[in-house]
Parts: sequence; C-alpha cells; structure tokens
Amino acid sequence: MEKKIPKTGLYLCDPGGEIGAVIDLQILADKSAKIKGVEHSEVAADPFSEDFLTSVREKIEADTIDRIVWAGRFTSRQQESLKKTLAGINLNPYLHEWCDIGLYGIGRNGDGAKVQQQKALSLIKMAAARARLLQPLEPHEIPAIDVAVVVGAGIAGLHVAASFLERGKPVHLVEQQSGVGGKVALLSRFYPLQCDPHCGLEYVLKSLRNSDKLTLHTLSKPTGIEGAAGNFSVTVQSEPRYVDESRCNGCGRCAEVCPVDLPVFTDSVQDEPPFQQEKGIGSIIRETRKAIHPSLPYAFPESYVVDRQVCPEGCSACRDICPTKAIDLDQVSSEQSLRAGAVVATTGWDPYPLSKMSTYFGYGVYPNVIGNLEMEQVLSRMSRGLGNPTAPPVKNLKTVGFVQCVGSRNKLHLSYCSSVCCSATIKQIQQLKSIQPDVTCIVFYQDMRCNGFEEDMYQALKEEDDILFVRGFPKITGSESDGSQLTAIAEDTFSGKPVKQDLDLLVLAGGMQLSQAGQDFAEVSGLPLNESNFLTGHYQCYPEESQRSGIVSGGCARGPMNVSQSIDSAHRAAFKALNFLDGSILIKPTFPLVDKTKCDECKRCVEECPFGVYHYDEKGFPEPDLGKCRQCGNCMGTCPVAAISLNNFTIKQLAAQIEVLENSFLDYEEPLILAFLCENDAYPAARAAVDSGLNPPLNAIYVKVPCAGAVNNAVVADALALGIDGVLIAGCKDGQCHYVNGNQLVLKRSGDLREKLTTMMIEPERVRSESIEIQEGARFVQILEDYIEDLKQLGPNPFKV
Amino acid sequence: MAPKVDFSKCDGCKAQDEPLCEQVCPGNLMTLGENGKAYCRETSDCWDCMSCTKICPVGAIETRMPFQLGYHGAKLIPMMGTNTITWTCIDINGKIERFRCKTRTD
Repeated sequence: MEKKIPKTGLYLCDPGGEIGAVIDLQILADKSAKIKGVEHSEVAADPFSEDFLTSVREKIEADTIDRIVWAGRFTSRQQESLKKTLAGINLNPYLHEWCDIGLYGIGRNGDGAKVQQQKALSLIKMAAARARLLQPLEPHEIPAIDVAVVVGAGIAGLHVAASFLERGKPVHLVEQQSGVGGKVALLSRFYPLQCDPHCGLEYVLKSLRNSDKLTLHTLSKPTGIEGAAGNFSVTVQSEPRYVDESRCNGCGRCAEVCPVDLPVFTDSVQDEPPFQQEKGIGSIIRETRKAIHPSLPYAFPESYVVDRQVCPEGCSACRDICPTKAIDLDQVSSEQSLRAGAVVATTGWDPYPLSKMSTYFGYGVYPNVIGNLEMEQVLSRMSRGLGNPTAPPVKNLKTVGFVQCVGSRNKLHLSYCSSVCCSATIKQIQQLKSIQPDVTCIVFYQDMRCNGFEEDMYQALKEEDDILFVRGFPKITGSESDGSQLTAIAEDTFSGKPVKQDLDLLVLAGGMQLSQAGQDFAEVSGLPLNESNFLTGHYQCYPEESQRSGIVSGGCARGPMNVSQSIDSAHRAAFKALNFLDGSILIKPTFPLVDKTKCDECKRCVEECPFGVYHYDEKGFPEPDLGKCRQCGNCMGTCPVAAISLNNFTIKQLAAQIEVLENSFLDYEEPLILAFLCENDAYPAARAAVDSGLNPPLNAIYVKVPCAGAVNNAVVADALALGIDGVLIAGCKDGQCHYVNGNQLVLKRSGDLREKLTTMMIEPERVRSESIEIQEGARFVQILEDYIEDLKQLGPNPFKV
Repeated sequence: MAPKVDFSKCDGCKAQDEPLCEQVCPGNLMTLGENGKAYCRETSDCWDCMSCTKICPVGAIETRMPFQLGYHGAKLIPMMGTNTITWTCIDINGKIERFRCKTRTD
C-alpha cells in the first residue's frame, strides 16, 4: 500500500473571543502553517456557520487535507456539536484532534502575552504532532448470543428472567434448590403492604409458567464461566431430581407411601447445620415432610423431587406406586455447557448464623429463642391456623421480645447494617397483633432504622400501649427447668432505668450476608467481593455491572435489600444485561493492541489488567479479549517494553507530543510541568478551574489519559530526559477509580521511577502523583502552584538545554 | 562485575516462568531463585551488557562498574524512554555526566 503523507488542516476557533483578546490569532495561524504536516491553517471566524463547514467539506473532498486539528476554546458541548456536523463530511471521527487552548486560561489577562502566545503555539505543535499519527478507526463488531443465563431463582432472578422473556430472549434459569422462590418463599408477609409473598411470586411466575423460551435448571449450579460478553460458555452441574418433570402430574400418591419423615423447620433455620430439632425453631414447628416432596421452597416446577440421601436402602415404594412411571431412582448428576450473551447473578443472601451470638441471647440454648426468618415461618403457620398449636412457646403467647441488630452493626460479626430488619420487625409485630391482638411486644434496639415510608409504620406502632421500645440490649436467662420461660434484663439508655420482662418468645433480627451460592459464583466467575463481602461493580457509577462486562448482579447478591429494592435492582440488572443480547456488540475502536514484534511475553499486562482481559494466543503472546476490555489502558501503562498501545492513544503519539516540549516556551528558570490527567476526574477538574474563573499557572501542559494507570514510565522518562522539570500524574481518589486500582498501580510505578531518579542523582520530586476529584478545580490550581514552588527550589532539570 | 538485584524491589516479573531479565540476557545468566527473585547464577560470565538493568520494569537491577572502568563505587545508570536511553555516569568522586541517546527500535 502506498504510504500516504498526512495532510493536516488547522482551524483556530475562538467563539467567545477570549483568546483573541490577548493573542493575535492571525499571527498564530501563520506560524502554525509552518508546522510539519500542516497543509492549511486559518482562523475560523464562525465555526458553526454553514459557509465555514462547506469550505471544510470542499477541502476534504479535494484531498487538500485529510485530518483536522481544532485549536481554540470549546465547551464539550460545542465539541460534540461540531463532531456531529462534521460526521456528514466524510471524515472519520478519529481523525479530529482537539487542542483546547481555552483550558489553560490563555487570554484571560494581558500579563505575559508573549509567553501565552508561545504556549499556544507549543500546544498547537503538540496537537499537530499527534494529528500526524492519527489513524481512521471503525468500531469493532462481535456477534452476540441472545440467550441469558440467570443464576439464582429467588424473587430477583425471577424478575430478571421475566424481563428477558418479555423481550423475547431465551433464558436459562439456574437454581440450586429444587424449586424457585428463594428466601421470599419463606416469608409470611412483605412490608409495607402486608402482601402474601405467594401472590408476588405467582405474579412474576405467570409469565414464566408457559414460556417455551425458559429453561429451568433446578438443583444446579454454575461450575465455570468462560468467554466474554456476548459469548459466554457457562458450565452448569445439575444434581438429579429422580423424577421425570415431563411425566410427573403432581398427584402426590408417592408421598403417601414414602416411609421417611423429615422435619420441615430446616428450610428457614438461621444457623449452620447440623440443626437440632429439640432446640429453637425445631421445637416450635414439628411438621414433617416426606423424602419425596414437591419442589422447595416454592412448588415450581410442579414436579416432585426425591431427597435420595435419606431414602432407606432398597426402598422403591414411590417408584412402584407412581401411575405415570415418572420416577427413576437411578438418575445420575449431569453437566452441560450453556452458551450465553450475558450472565446475571441473583444469588441472594444467607442468614448470619445466630449461634455465633448465642452467648448473648441464648439462641440454640433455650427452645423459644428464634431468628426473624424462623419467625416468618411461625407467623405463616399461625395465620393459616397450621403448625402445632400445642408446642409450648407459641401455645399461649402473651409477651414476645424482639432484639434488633443481632450480628449486624457489630465489628466482631457483620460491620454493616442489614437495613431491612428494623422494618421487618415492625411488620412482624403488626402481623402478630392482627392474629393475636392481646399480645404484648417489647423491642430491644440500638437505633430504629426504618427508611423512607417505613417510618410511618414505626411511628404508628410507637403510639400503641402494649408495644414497648427499649433502647438497649438485654441479657436473656431461662427460668423454668426446660428454659422455656425467658427473662430479659436490660437498661433503657433513654430513661436510664432498668427493664425486667418475662418473655414467652424471643425473636432475634439476624443479619444478612452474601449467600454461599454468591460466594461460589464469585469464585467461579473470578469476580472480587467488596469490603462487606458482597458482589459489586462500582458502588455508585455502575452498581449492577461487574468487572467482567456481560456479567451483572442484582438483588441481595449486591447487599442487604428488602423485597421491593431487590426487584428494583433486578430490573436494573436485566436492563444492563439486555445490551449484550442484541445480536451483536459494538466495541469502541480504542481498544489495546499488542505489538508482537516488541512484546517479550513477560505477562505483566496479564497480571495487572484489572478486568482479567488478557489470554495467551497460540504463540504465547498476550491477547486482549475485546468483549471484556474496558479500555482503561492499564496494560499500556504497565508494559515494560512499551509494546501495548490503545488505538487513538498510542505510545508513539504521546512520545511525539512530548518531543515538542524539548524547546520550552518558558524561560530557563521557569519550571515546565507535564501533567497527565485522568479523563474521569483530574481533567474535568482542570476544566472546572478555568470555568470557575481561576487562572491556572502557565507552566503546565496537560495530557488527557483514559486512566492514570495508562501512563507508561517510558513516556515519563522521555519527558524527564527532554528537560521537562516536573511530571505530574493525577488520578482519582483511592477507591474511586473506575478501573478498580489504576491509581494504586501508578503510585507503585512512579515510586519505582522516583527511586531510579534518586540513584541517577536527580531529585525524585520531579515525578509526583496526586489524587484529584472532579470538582476540585481550586485544589488543582493549588497543586500546580505548590509544585511550581517546589520545582523552583530544586532548580532546572539537569537535562534541560 | 555482575548485576546486583535489589530483592526488596524485584517481583520476579510476577513469578512467571521466565522473568524479563532471564529472557533478555545474552548469556542466559539470570534466573529465578527459590525465593521468586531474580539473580545472576554465574557472575564471572557476565559481560556487563546491562540488558537486564535496562529492561527491568521495576528498576531492581543495578550493574556495578568493573574496576578497570570506574573503580568501586562508580555507577552507570540507564533510564529507558520510548525511543531514547538516558545514561547517568557517576564516578568515584561523585562527578556526574549525562547522555541522551536515540534508539531506533521501530
């Protein structure tokens, strides 16, 4: 192919007239015309006029110019509108170079007009140097599979699946239990409307029941997630049900002949196995079920399932009686690979084991101390007139105690607030009072945290005489021989008075933690958990997304939520996942490229990529998986041989820009600073500074980078070797980086470079890293001014000519 | 004089099979020790080409000047740019000389 010599068109725009007040734009345009590669240079009086755009179009069509440097002062909105208009003139959007002179406050005042002019020229030269190396780029399209895999069929998972089915996308719903519903199926009521959860489940199941696009995998869990967005391969391992779902008609005759009786209380018990039937909830709920039973916790799918571990040896009573021959007791576990465009984790929560708190509140010690999820079962049975009304603790309920924050907000257990338990207790009291109006309730709490509308429920209960709120935790003792009569002794820290109360039942509001299934999912998918051990993306900016694009999470897998918040979150997750199910995924062309002639296969990029994007090609070179890549450029920053570049942000382009600064526009004594600014935080802060009327010092030149972690030490070394006095690398505050830990990586790398400078007898302060937030314009200017002062103390860079 | 590795800085190139210094050494002298850090296994065979010093991504390797050239205590330190190497020579009297050389690797 014939090598084309780039022809740059340079347009000076100054819509506000601010720069022109101090600098003669025409002189600047004339000088710019002499820059290498610039074929045309003019002052655009009105860049938004039709005439001007026509003249640009004509030049491009006549091939006088094939790329454009826009120099001047633009707001980002003006940039966007120029780009939009210019999209029609047949110039690739990646052949525009923006040289924002206005970002430096040039033209604000007349001081040092000559320096301002020279700085403007230097900036234009830098832009032109970069423009010469620009390449036209097109988005990369990868085909996507329109199937979704949803892991966890609780209320969140069901809503996600329903959203996909509504849009006609096939769904694989993977559930580790034998039926759907998750924790919600164990509840007696939702708040604040006191709805029966079975109504809510039926509502969402309506669209799932008869869908031919839904495949439900029960007793299953993912054991591997390979591939990237649009093209996942999920390995699912399924345990056998021993009942053929297509044949079972749910007649229940098998359960009639089954010889095994199992206690049902284990479904909601808030403890780690093995569970004891004579303690806690086990002594209250004495119902049993058979080894062959309908799906749990909610009877969907409608087929029965066998607990094979508890079957007596040689028993085949169920198989013999089944009228449809649906039972096959010799089924074995199976593994299958599902292809999917997106994976949604709605793995939900597990109760914090309350026996860890038994020394305080007697859980597992006294028979009538139970958890709040267990209380839901009690309430459910009481309201339906079921259960065993003769069981001592609930036979004659007069006084019921509730303890809040059991496990939550406790540094030794769960440090966070489980956020739903206060309102859940309020709801349980409401329901208990509606079933048994003469009951007295006493709530021991440290703070009642009923958010939003739930506060009304709390205030209404506070008005009632037989509901007592005590701020302080009780000491629980059992007084009868079987411990069934409880006594609570506490100090009400509001009144300072001691409280002593006999209780028939004590309910502990236990904490919520990520389910075991959620932890397994994190391990299988390679996703990290946040400091509270939940799945998370960026907590604020993309909460439902994860570090692997195409994998999203919703519901209580992300943190403690009540039912409505969980459904909210599920819908957001589904919405995010739909982007990956639309036939194909368009990838921005600014992805990283590995120069395999330079690459030494050191694999540092593979190690430091925050999203695990890199794999090895057949020759052992690292290769990015474009579907996963977030294009942060941390690989480019880390490469020891500078072999990785993002398209449109290459090492060569950076080096060419910096080379312009060999001849400083400042006096010898004045320090010149090169500032690499993260485009998410520090760069907008620089803009905020000028927009708020501040005048940043003229000594600094900014280079916008996708992440502070994308700055390669070789580029910094270039700058120092060219005599630039100080290099500032500014990224986000700790923990706020959009790319997990780019700012941490840059700290480590610039630390290494500083040590090298020390051995070279160059002051290490010439490389500085800072964290700047997006609104901190004033602080940004302050940082620059301080740095200039420090550099003046050091004197000029020894490499400066 | 053989390259000296600062173990506190060396990360063994994240404990891959072959660290960069091992790949680049023309005499195949550098290797990973049991502690996961690089070292020169045959110091007398080193030619002082400084390839390992130049490529080390964390700046953990230092080449001691042979006494014929600079006596004990003299230093020669390279800093790699994108297409330049910057050399700093410090002799035993502390006199510093600096050079910048273009490399044409592209």
